[in-house]
Amino acid sequence: MSEIVIVRGLQKSFGRVKALQDVTFSVGEGEVVGFIGPNGAGKSTTIRILLGILRRDAGEARIFGRDVWKDSLEIHRRISYVPGDVALWGNLTGGEIIDLFINLHGGGDRRKRDFLIRRFELDPGKKAKSYSKGNRQKVALIAALSVESDLYILDEPTSGLDPLMEAVFQDEVRKLKEAGKSVLLSSHILSEVERLADRVVIIRQGRVVETGTLEELRHLTRTTIRLAVEGDVRGLAAVRGVHDFRAERNQATFSADREHIHHILSEALKLGIRNIEAVPPALEDLFMRHYES
Amino acid sequence: MRERFARWDVLFVQLLRRDWKKILFWVLGVGLFSTGFVPAFEEIGKGQGFRALYETMQNPAMIAIVGPTPVDRAEDYTLGAMYAHEMLLFCGLLAMILSALHVIGHTRREEDLGLMELVRSFPVGRQAASLAVMAETVLINAILALAIGGMLAGYGEPSLSAEGSLLFGASIGMGGVLGAAVALLMAQVMPASSAATGASLGIIGALFLVRAGTDMTHESLSMLNPLGWTYLTYPFTENHGVPLAFAAIFSFLAVAAAFALEGRRDLGAGFLPEKPGRVAAGRSLLSVHGLFLRLNRGVILAWMIAFFAIGASYGSIYGDMQTFLESNEILRQMFTAAGVSIEASFTGVILLVTTSLVAILPVALVNRLFTEEVRLRLSQVFATKVTRTRLYWTNVILAVLAGAAGTAVSAGGLGAAAAAAMGEGAPLDIGDFFAAAFNFFPAVLFFAGLAALALGWSPRLGRAVYLYLAYSFAINYFDGVANFPEWFSGTAVQSWIPRMPAEPFDGAVFAAVTAIGAALMVLGYAGYRRRDMAEGG
Repeated sequence: MSEIVIVRGLQKSFGRVKALQDVTFSVGEGEVVGFIGPNGAGKSTTIRILLGILRRDAGEARIFGRDVWKDSLEIHRRISYVPGDVALWGNLTGGEIIDLFINLHGGGDRRKRDFLIRRFELDPGKKAKSYSKGNRQKVALIAALSVESDLYILDEPTSGLDPLMEAVFQDEVRKLKEAGKSVLLSSHILSEVERLADRVVIIRQGRVVETGTLEELRHLTRTTIRLAVEGDVRGLAAVRGVHDFRAERNQATFSADREHIHHILSEALKLGIRNIEAVPPALEDLFMRHYES
Repeated sequence: MRERFARWDVLFVQLLRRDWKKILFWVLGVGLFSTGFVPAFEEIGKGQGFRALYETMQNPAMIAIVGPTPVDRAEDYTLGAMYAHEMLLFCGLLAMILSALHVIGHTRREEDLGLMELVRSFPVGRQAASLAVMAETVLINAILALAIGGMLAGYGEPSLSAEGSLLFGASIGMGGVLGAAVALLMAQVMPASSAATGASLGIIGALFLVRAGTDMTHESLSMLNPLGWTYLTYPFTENHGVPLAFAAIFSFLAVAAAFALEGRRDLGAGFLPEKPGRVAAGRSLLSVHGLFLRLNRGVILAWMIAFFAIGASYGSIYGDMQTFLESNEILRQMFTAAGVSIEASFTGVILLVTTSLVAILPVALVNRLFTEEVRLRLSQVFATKVTRTRLYWTNVILAVLAGAAGTAVSAGGLGAAAAAAMGEGAPLDIGDFFAAAFNFFPAVLFFAGLAALALGWSPRLGRAVYLYLAYSFAINYFDGVANFPEWFSGTAVQSWIPRMPAEPFDGAVFAAVTAIGAALMVLGYAGYRRRDMAEGG
């Protein structure tokens, strides 16, 4: 599988502020990569560098094997971008702007555009200045999805959309994946990332602190286990690999290290298990862990 | 190389589609303004009018305001010569300022607002937008030049030759191109679009002041001044094409430099660095008036400096006026006969200029409240206990005080410089200057009131107040030359006010205009209380 996006050792400063210290990750062909991190971590800065809007200070950044600053024109012919904050020209209508964007991209599918406008329930005849934030976002999304691209860079694309439209968006991204396109999705909506992403890149304070598939990342965190036993459940609190133990009558909730699961369950069996629930770690837990560490 | 500007043509067409209404107003407005006064000037020309005017125009004060003329003898002062002399500098300046604002509006300002980011993600050259805007502005100025040339030649006046008319139009158009070039360069250097606008206007203003000085003394130095190239073409008289060539080369170089800088720049940043700010708010910021003062601090300061500089540079002419008068028998008779010193009568003209300039500041401050509203920055404030009353009146009073301060500063600059230039036994002292300037203050209040009225009822018309201000200024400015009928010059507020110190103070008029200004503000308040706030507009 070839690498569509390669970023290595990226650095960027704004005056004295070092926004990006060392960012390294990649996006493969047909992959959806979730790009997450706290506010101000450097997500949008990284994306802007990839788009050739900002100039990096050091490091390597390539898309389709070409340098993002020098060959930006070539690259842009094959990518679609949805920004975090969509600003539009107030006096043009949504439909006009979508057509303009499609034109600037170099052409798109007219039927797909009409289909998407209906699907996202956008009124294309209204002037952009009367659109709410969500509608502005829809304009950018529709324009991005109506063209044929190989890489889609989406920076918090659904932050203003209602849950119904969020579902529509996720469906469209799934279609992209099936068609073999690559997607770089930066989002704070972790459920969205969990559902769509093949791999996740976590950035914090200008550095990539974790990358891997959700499966791999889950190995690093703990499973949450809820147990109801016959005997005294408090005995389990001292077992190796048990953390954040909380007990309520005979029911206990705790996090368990993966490597000690067998030992923990053996101890629990001795007490007589009445009920057991094991919840895989959510991306949120993962995320929070990186906040705290 | 071509990659930098890829797809600029698409953006260019888009700009034309978006701006066609603005372009229409621009070309018609500036075009009519630049050519419409010919009949008025023809009126003056009857009889010995031109000759008398020629003598008046030799006054250094007039040269400082309007520019020089190559004509050596009064007999050669034809309608064409006079028209070019009076109008060219002013119209060129107008075209320059409009073009500068337009260019920054479509480049840096759109960047700051986030519009450029999405466009840059397409296979559009990094600098395609800048090229598109420059091309659009050059096109507009070319159309303007042709329109002006055509309209002037269309009068069929013998002294308004076809060659001269075209040169006249081209000079104004070239002024516009110069303004655009300077603005594009400033857009690369300054950290924000407002700073770029300020810097461009500041440069234009500085060029104007320098040129006022060199025009009076060493005319050849004015040739080094870019602003000089717009009027030193001397249409209808000497018809030089060379200054236009200088202007074209200069513009080209400035634009090339701007493009070179832009190619290396991050979107949204300038080359001058931003300084870090304060962590907590100082006490002076913590109130409605504190906030407004802080928001407008830069603008107010910049204008105050400008007012002082303009006042002082006009004031320095006063010394020359005496020598000029002593050298010319005819004029000495004209002025001493009227019982009024030449300084006194010219003070009135100069103060008209400064008052109109001072009025810009309060209008800008009042309009600012609407801008804040549209940009949704006041959204949260509307939900607090700060009432609309408080917002409105704090802003309006700030504008009035700024207008008063501006009047004082310009009068101070004028008076101090004049006193220094005139030396002992001067016919006017600094008190006279202050009195004369504040005599015009009601006019400033009037314009502030108009802006307040617009703010309350139809805020998008706030910008139209500038048009009316420019129109009034022009009427008054040319009234001295053209002698418009009463009803016509009465459409401009300043003409109601007597021109001190030459004419006596009229308390009734002063009170009346002040009252009108105040009434407008109250009416505006009524509207502001009632209307919908522009949320998401």
